Amino acid sequence: MKRIFITVLVGAAFLVLLNLPALSQDIEKIKFPPLNPLQIPQVEKVTLENGLNLYLLEDKSLPIFRVNARINAGTYLDPPAKVGLAEICGTVMRTGGTEKWTGDEIDEMLEGVGGSVETSIDLDMGSASVNVLSEYTDMGLEILAEILQRPVFNEDKIELAKVQERTGISRRNDDIGELARREFKKLIYGPESPYARHTEYATVKAIERADLVNFHKTYFCPDNVQMAIWGDFNKDEIITRIKQYFGTWPKGNVTVPPLPEVTYNWRNKVYYAEKADARQSYIRMGHLGGKVTDKDYTDRIVMNSILGEGFGSRLTNNVRTKLGLAYSTGGRLISEFGYPGYFFALASTNPGSTVKAVREMITQIKTMHTDLPTEEEMKKGKDGYLNSFVFNFDSKGEVLGRMMTYDYYGLPEDFLQKEKEGVEKVTPEAVMAAAKNNLRPDEMVILVVGNQAQFDEPLESLGLGPIEKIDITIPAPKEEKELVINDETLARGNELLMAAVKAHGGVDGFKKIKSTRIKGTYTIITPNGGFPLSFEEYKVFPDRMYLLLTVMGRKMYDITNGDKGWKSDQTGSLVEKTADDLSKDKQDLARNLIYIFRQCDKPDYRPVYEGVEEVEGEKIEYITLVKENGDKICRLGLNADSYQLYSSSYWGETPMGEGIINNIYADFKKIGNVTLPTNINVYLEKQKVVEQSFTEYVVNIDIPASTFEKPL
Amino acid sequence: MKFFNKKLMAVIFLSIIAGVSAGFGFDFSELENAVSEHTLKNGLRVIVMERHDAPVVSLITYANVGGANDPKEYTGLAHMFEHMAFKGTEKVGTTDLKNELKAMKIEDSIFYELRAERKKGDQADSARLALLEAEFDKAIEHARSFVVPNAFDHILETEGGVGINAGTGMDQTIYLVSLPSNRLELWMAMESERFYKPVLREMYRERNVIAEERLQTLENSPFGRTLDEIKAAAFLAHPYGVSIVGHMSDIKNYTRDAARAYYEKYYVPSNMIVSIVGNVDPREVFRLAEKYWGRLPYKPKPDELATVEPEQNGERRVELEDPAQPLFAACYHIPSFTDKDWPAVQALTDYLGQGRTSLLYKNLVKEKKIAADVGAFAGYPGNKYPTLALVYAIPAAGHNNDECEEQVFAEIEKMQKELLPVEEVEKIKARAKASFINGLNSNMGLAMQLATFENKYGDWRELFKQLNRINTVTPEDIQRVAQKYFVKKNRTVAKLNTI
Repeated sequence: MKRIFITVLVGAAFLVLLNLPALSQDIEKIKFPPLNPLQIPQVEKVTLENGLNLYLLEDKSLPIFRVNARINAGTYLDPPAKVGLAEICGTVMRTGGTEKWTGDEIDEMLEGVGGSVETSIDLDMGSASVNVLSEYTDMGLEILAEILQRPVFNEDKIELAKVQERTGISRRNDDIGELARREFKKLIYGPESPYARHTEYATVKAIERADLVNFHKTYFCPDNVQMAIWGDFNKDEIITRIKQYFGTWPKGNVTVPPLPEVTYNWRNKVYYAEKADARQSYIRMGHLGGKVTDKDYTDRIVMNSILGEGFGSRLTNNVRTKLGLAYSTGGRLISEFGYPGYFFALASTNPGSTVKAVREMITQIKTMHTDLPTEEEMKKGKDGYLNSFVFNFDSKGEVLGRMMTYDYYGLPEDFLQKEKEGVEKVTPEAVMAAAKNNLRPDEMVILVVGNQAQFDEPLESLGLGPIEKIDITIPAPKEEKELVINDETLARGNELLMAAVKAHGGVDGFKKIKSTRIKGTYTIITPNGGFPLSFEEYKVFPDRMYLLLTVMGRKMYDITNGDKGWKSDQTGSLVEKTADDLSKDKQDLARNLIYIFRQCDKPDYRPVYEGVEEVEGEKIEYITLVKENGDKICRLGLNADSYQLYSSSYWGETPMGEGIINNIYADFKKIGNVTLPTNINVYLEKQKVVEQSFTEYVVNIDIPASTFEKPL
Repeated sequence: MKFFNKKLMAVIFLSIIAGVSAGFGFDFSELENAVSEHTLKNGLRVIVMERHDAPVVSLITYANVGGANDPKEYTGLAHMFEHMAFKGTEKVGTTDLKNELKAMKIEDSIFYELRAERKKGDQADSARLALLEAEFDKAIEHARSFVVPNAFDHILETEGGVGINAGTGMDQTIYLVSLPSNRLELWMAMESERFYKPVLREMYRERNVIAEERLQTLENSPFGRTLDEIKAAAFLAHPYGVSIVGHMSDIKNYTRDAARAYYEKYYVPSNMIVSIVGNVDPREVFRLAEKYWGRLPYKPKPDELATVEPEQNGERRVELEDPAQPLFAACYHIPSFTDKDWPAVQALTDYLGQGRTSLLYKNLVKEKKIAADVGAFAGYPGNKYPTLALVYAIPAAGHNNDECEEQVFAEIEKMQKELLPVEEVEKIKARAKASFINGLNSNMGLAMQLATFENKYGDWRELFKQLNRINTVTPEDIQRVAQKYFVKKNRTVAKLNTI
């Protein structure tokens, strides 16, 4: 008995011991061993005779060959009238092909080996990269050499890049967070500053091939390029190869203009940009910031974290967690290498707590002057940075890229290491001193984007003086030639218009049209091909309209009923039309062919003759319809022989962006007593963007009045 | 302990490796030699690759369970459990475990009553239903009052964690993160804890997140719906026919008990692999794995699925209606990832429909302009079991599904009749090699591949033979698999027609 008892006891004790660690694993008690020292890879720097700077790093762990080149140029060099030049140059260098190969041939070569070569130009630097298996090192180097030295800037690819740029312009107000960021930067640096400005239709239009050729010729020379090369190669061999492909590239001796200085106007002022359809208010506040070379730069790293970075920061804890005012909030003082960054705090919030959130954000920024960081805050402030510091070294490309940046700005090689040592030593007092020296909560510019009708209080109640409204309308480009309006051009214009109406069935036929129903396909043309959508449109002249477009299974409505209307927004939800929407509807009506023709004997517009042009072998007469006040409605093109409609053009929106729209008409059919086109090719500048084709077109049918009510 | 250090065994394997790598320009032996493995008593396999470039480490938990293992009535449960694994542990994520557990019990019992009432359908007592629903909402809110949101992620982030993520497939569920390498023990403690004693908090709220995910990826996407239905038609027997995200009615009926039963069956150490790549000492990794992962009790590895999809007897067709955009798709039964034909099937689908230089793109998009986009790939919806190769075309404006169908099948027929030129096959291989090797160009990429090959082949060493498999594909192989698998009898065709 006794023996068994002991065995059981020992067994039980053993089990208890086994279970002990399972019952108490406290992660707080885990001690971290010291981190192994960082091994900074041995990079060899070589400068070729023509001044090309090489950074070489052998790494034979995988059969990969990579290049990252840094070109000393940037969008800051764009002339004010041609903003977008450098960016488009960076794109078309690659897509537009070279003296040896077209862009498509380069695509084909690279797809054949699963590799890539890319180029781009950003604010303060240009980049070019190669990624191929090392057995295709030669191909990668040769394509890079061709692209950097001998790009041909093919006109079609320039046009394509411009269309993409215009698309970006037309959609730049869609993302409200992005809109707020852009407008805030303009408040900091000034709207014309290279650090804040952006493309406009006019600046993109002004860019010509010669500009791209010039930009490339000026800045793309070997003595203005740093090139990091790493992967599976032998250093000596690769130098020979690089000399073979880049050795004859002539030196440029270019003096690149320095990054411009910033003159900042300190002020405490509230700005407001109206975005009537915003479901949230976007708030940004701040002022000019600093550079990474400033003495208290590392103190600011900890300060940023305590004030506004992530969970546990003062902004998140108070504006979001405690008061529940914002969906997201944060902030920091940005430090740049070549020019001063800026300080910002941001929040997006329910419109009904906008002003309250602004007040609380200012309060929290002020606490940085008055409340010494607690021990917990100091730990939070340093941990995130220090603990993830090692990930600055886990990719060779990143290490080499940083090395080139430091060299370029004349910073010591161990700059990052020193930064880390600095952060480790930061004290609560230093954070407070940095806040006092850098943050000026009483001299901030405050930007609110949203719908002020829904704000909790007027922005004026912040007591910071009158509110300045920011206009975010996207400006249309200026006309090339002035329209000549005199008796002669008006008479000829009227004559042509009457002839056109006659050619399409006569004014009486048009006057009889009370309503229309059109069904068909609306095909959006993208660089990858067409995406057909089906549509259905009902119209009762003059002011009732119903359009249903089916997009990826979702019904998208656009309905106007006199001075009311509804439309689907991007998410598919139905929203009430704004005054702006309704005024666009009026513009659409004014351009409607039936509407124009039916009143030609007593028009509310004036037809102005412009002249005759030869278009694709046919003579086309042009008249522009203008309102009494001189505003243009549209420009009609008529076949000089038959007076049949050829085209209609005006400034407007398409799914591929905003710009000069040119509708080319075809497939004329008898509809009721008149003749109308049933196929429309829509061009944006020179690019075809939409094709509309009508499968059904009927007039004067009964349309129930409920069609124009808000759909359920 | 059964250590098997590859470094010690290097000499033995050297000859084999040299043989494999000969002629293909790259020797993987250095990478392979850096791998060690160890199996704990409870069956957990731990694979470690030493890479000492930087003091960082990438860590993966690879569970050999996915959508294909979902129980009937609880489709999508694998995916649900993945979400639940981020809700914390008994120690992380709660302000008061004892009361939280009580509150969760109340949630459970109200939900069972509610579910029973709902199942009555027309016969349900509407007043009682409304009452139960209100009570259920209250219970959820009460349980939530003990929750510290995002606590698990937040600890990892403060400790320097990057790339915190997870993914559920048909075949596996993967949890990943990279950390400074001296945080190894922290990861061991936290990661093992969440699979040792999962709390399954916020379960009922999370169902709404998943329902929303289903809407976004499947129901509101014509492409998603078509793929869902084509595989449902292609698989009569095998669970690959049911979507990973699960049926909507199942999602709404998940219970904590079902999730727990599922966890107890599949999240057992013998069914899991831990894969670690970075600046670590394998002995230390194995010691810590014993200490923390060793707590998980041994349970037998669940059986692999026994269901085998029967041979298809003839073409199947699915028609769907959509107001918007037409879509044509066809799929063929093909063998699994480890089958000897796999690389040739991969090569075929690559040549047929991947990228702008592919056969279908050139023919249908560029030349005939009848399609706006085309594509082809092998391994849908999984690849551990025999699976499908998929081909699709989106008709261009003014063109339709029938035209695309005719051309797609004509191109496939051509591949059955004519041998591909050798230089084309070389291009396919070059692309496959580049994509394979780029996938190894990071600690995380390597960890992922090691775990995948260990799971699917039962041996991570197979990873380093993959280039060899790609390289041995010939034009004859591609023609042979085209004739064997890409035939009418073996295909399912789906058409999304505009109405």
